[in-house]
Amino acid sequence: MAFAFGTGLAFSIVYLLVANAIQERSDAWLSGEAEVLARVSADTPKDHLYNRIVGEVAELATQELPDQRNASGQRLNSVFFLESNPNSNENPLWVGPGSYDAFLSAIQRTKFVPGIPQSITVEGWPTTFRVVARNENGRMIYMGLSNRGARHLLRTLTRRFLLLWGSTVLMGFLITYLSARRTLLRVQRITDTVAGIGSEDLGERLPEPINSDEISRLAKTFNHMLDRIQSSVNELRSVTDSIAHDLKSPLTSIRGALESALSSEPNEKWRDSVGDAIEGVDRLLSALDTTLDVAEAQAGALRLDRSMVDLSAAVQQLVNLYHPAMDERHHELVVDLEDHVVVDADWSLLNRVLSNLIENEIAHLPMGCQITIRLRSREGSAELVIEDNGPGFPPEISKRAFERFVRGKHSHGHGLGLAFVDAIARAHGGTAKISDGPAGGAVVTLSLPANVLHPA
Amino acid sequence: MRLLVVEDDVAIQAFLKRALVESGYQVDTANNAKTGELKALEGIYDAFIIDLGLPDLDGLDLIVRCRAQGISAPVLILSARRSVDERVRGLEQGGDDYLTKPFAIAELVARLRNLLRRSSPAQNDSVRLQAADLQLDLVRHEARRGEHLLQLTPQEFSLLEYLCRNAGRVVTRTMILDHVWQMRIDPSTNVVDVHIYRLRSKVDHNTPVPLIHTIRGVGYVLKHA
Repeated sequence: MAFAFGTGLAFSIVYLLVANAIQERSDAWLSGEAEVLARVSADTPKDHLYNRIVGEVAELATQELPDQRNASGQRLNSVFFLESNPNSNENPLWVGPGSYDAFLSAIQRTKFVPGIPQSITVEGWPTTFRVVARNENGRMIYMGLSNRGARHLLRTLTRRFLLLWGSTVLMGFLITYLSARRTLLRVQRITDTVAGIGSEDLGERLPEPINSDEISRLAKTFNHMLDRIQSSVNELRSVTDSIAHDLKSPLTSIRGALESALSSEPNEKWRDSVGDAIEGVDRLLSALDTTLDVAEAQAGALRLDRSMVDLSAAVQQLVNLYHPAMDERHHELVVDLEDHVVVDADWSLLNRVLSNLIENEIAHLPMGCQITIRLRSREGSAELVIEDNGPGFPPEISKRAFERFVRGKHSHGHGLGLAFVDAIARAHGGTAKISDGPAGGAVVTLSLPANVLHPA
Repeated sequence: MRLLVVEDDVAIQAFLKRALVESGYQVDTANNAKTGELKALEGIYDAFIIDLGLPDLDGLDLIVRCRAQGISAPVLILSARRSVDERVRGLEQGGDDYLTKPFAIAELVARLRNLLRRSSPAQNDSVRLQAADLQLDLVRHEARRGEHLLQLTPQEFSLLEYLCRNAGRVVTRTMILDHVWQMRIDPSTNVVDVHIYRLRSKVDHNTPVPLIHTIRGVGYVLKHA
C-alpha cells in the first residue's frame, strides 16, 4: 500500500518536472523563432514581396521541429505564425494549419505581454497552444505551437508508468501475500503442534528449520520451553513416585503386620483396635494418593489414561452405589440424566471425581435433604450439576473451596475432595464451579469437554 | 501349590510368607532378581509374586527373562509406583495380574487364586451356588435361605453372589467395589457397609445363625458361624 502510494507520488513529481521541461523547451524555441521572425519582419521592406519573404521564413520555422506524427499520420506539432497590423484593415499574414479566424479571435481574447509565452485555447482544436507575441513597430507577430506533441509525450509517459506501476504493485502484493501466507502457515504449524502437546506426552518437539529467521527462533524458544516443562514435570513425577514408594513400602508392611495380627489375635477388644489401626492406615494412604494426584494434576504432570466414557452410565452406576447410603440419611435423590453423554476421559479418575462429589453431599448435609443430580450435554461440553437444598457452603470456605486442605469447621474430610475434583476437571480441559443455589443450597457444576455426543 | 515371592523389603516378605502359608501354599522367597531368577529356573513353582522395585533389576525385566527361558507360570506383580506402567498393562493382558501397594492380604490371596485357576484347566461355572443353607440360582436370579425366598434387588443379588463365590474367604471393600460395581474408587464414607447392612438384614433376618460377618479393618466374609 505504502509502496503503491510512494511510487505514485514519485511519478507525479517526475510528471510535473517533465511537463515543465517540455514547456520550457518549447517556450524557448517559440521565443527564439518569434525573435528571428520579428527581426526578419523588421529587416524586410514593406513591399509586395514582404508577405512572401516573411511567410517563407515562417514556413521554414514551422518545419524546423522534428516531424512527429501519431499512429493515424496526423502531424502532432502544429505551428502557426500570424502577423497582424491592428491599425490597418489588411488581412493578417498567416502561416499555419487551416484558417486563421479561430486563431485570431482566440488571440484577441487574450492579453499578451510581448516576449512571454501564454497558453490559449483555440476553437476547433483539442489542445491548447503556447503563443508568444512580439510587437514589431506596431505590427503584432504571434508565433504559436500546439501542446499536442507535449501532451502526447506526457500521455505516453503516463500510460507506460501506469502499466509498470500496476504490474509492480500487483507483483508486490503477490509477493507480500505469498510470503505472509508462508509465514502464517509456519506459525499455524507451530500453534497446531504446541496445542497437540498434551500433558501426557511432552516428548514432541517443533521442527527447527535451518535458517534463523524469527519464526525459527520462535520454534526454538518453544522447544526450549518444552524442554524445561518436560524436565520439571519428569522431576515432579519422580519426586511423587519416590514419595509414594518411600511411604508406601513401610505402610505396606505395617498394614500387612496388622492384618496378620488380626487373623491370629483371639482377643476381640484387641482385634477392634487393630482393625481401627488398619482403617487409619488406609485413610492415610488414600489422603497421600489424592495429595500426589492433585499435585501432579495441578502441575500438568498427571498421566491420563483416556478413553471414551459414557458419562451418563458412569453417573447412573454411582447413583446405584450411593443410593442406599443416601437413603440411610433420609435424603431424597432426584436423578435427571441425559442419555449417552460421552466424554474422552480417564475413566478411573472420573469415577473418583464423581464419587468425591457425591460423598461431599453425604458428608456435609444434615439429614433429610433433597439432592438433585443433573447431566446435560451443551455445545461441545458435558455439564453435571449436583444441587442440594442444604445450608450451602460455609462462607469461610466458599471462596477457597478448591484449594487443598481447605475445609469447613464441621467437616470431617481431609479437605482434598474439591481440590481433587478441580484439578482433575482441569487436567481434562474442563472446569468445576461451586455456587449457592437459588433456594440457598450448594450447587457444584462440573463441565467436561464432550467429544462425541449421541453416538449410535 | 508352591509359590516364589521375590521382594526386597524383608518386613513385607515376612508377612506375605506367613499369610500365604496360612492360606495353604508352600512359599519360597528371594531378596533380589538374581536369586529370584536362579530359583525360578528350577521350574518347580506354580506362580510368582514379584515386586517391581528390586535392588538389582526391574521386576519387569526379571519377568521378561524368565519368560524367555520358558517359565510360563503366572505372575502377580506388586508395585508401589503410582501409575500403572504400559508394560505392566501388557503383562496383565498376557494373563498376569498386578496389585499396587499397599494391598489387603485378602485381596492378594483372592487374585493369586484367580491366577492359578486361570492357568489350570477351567472348572465348570455352575448355575447354582450354595453356602450353608443359602442357595443362589444364577439363572433365575433367585436366592433362598432354607425354604425362604429372599427379596433382593439386582445389586443385592450381585453382592450376595460375590460373597457366596468367596464363601469362607474375606473380601475387602475395594474388592467388592471392583467386582460388584466395576469401580476402582476409594470411598471415605460407609457406602459399601450400607449395602452390606441391607443385604444382611434380608439374609440373616430371623435366623439364629448369621452368615455375613464383618472383619473389622479388613472387610466381610460369608461363612457358616
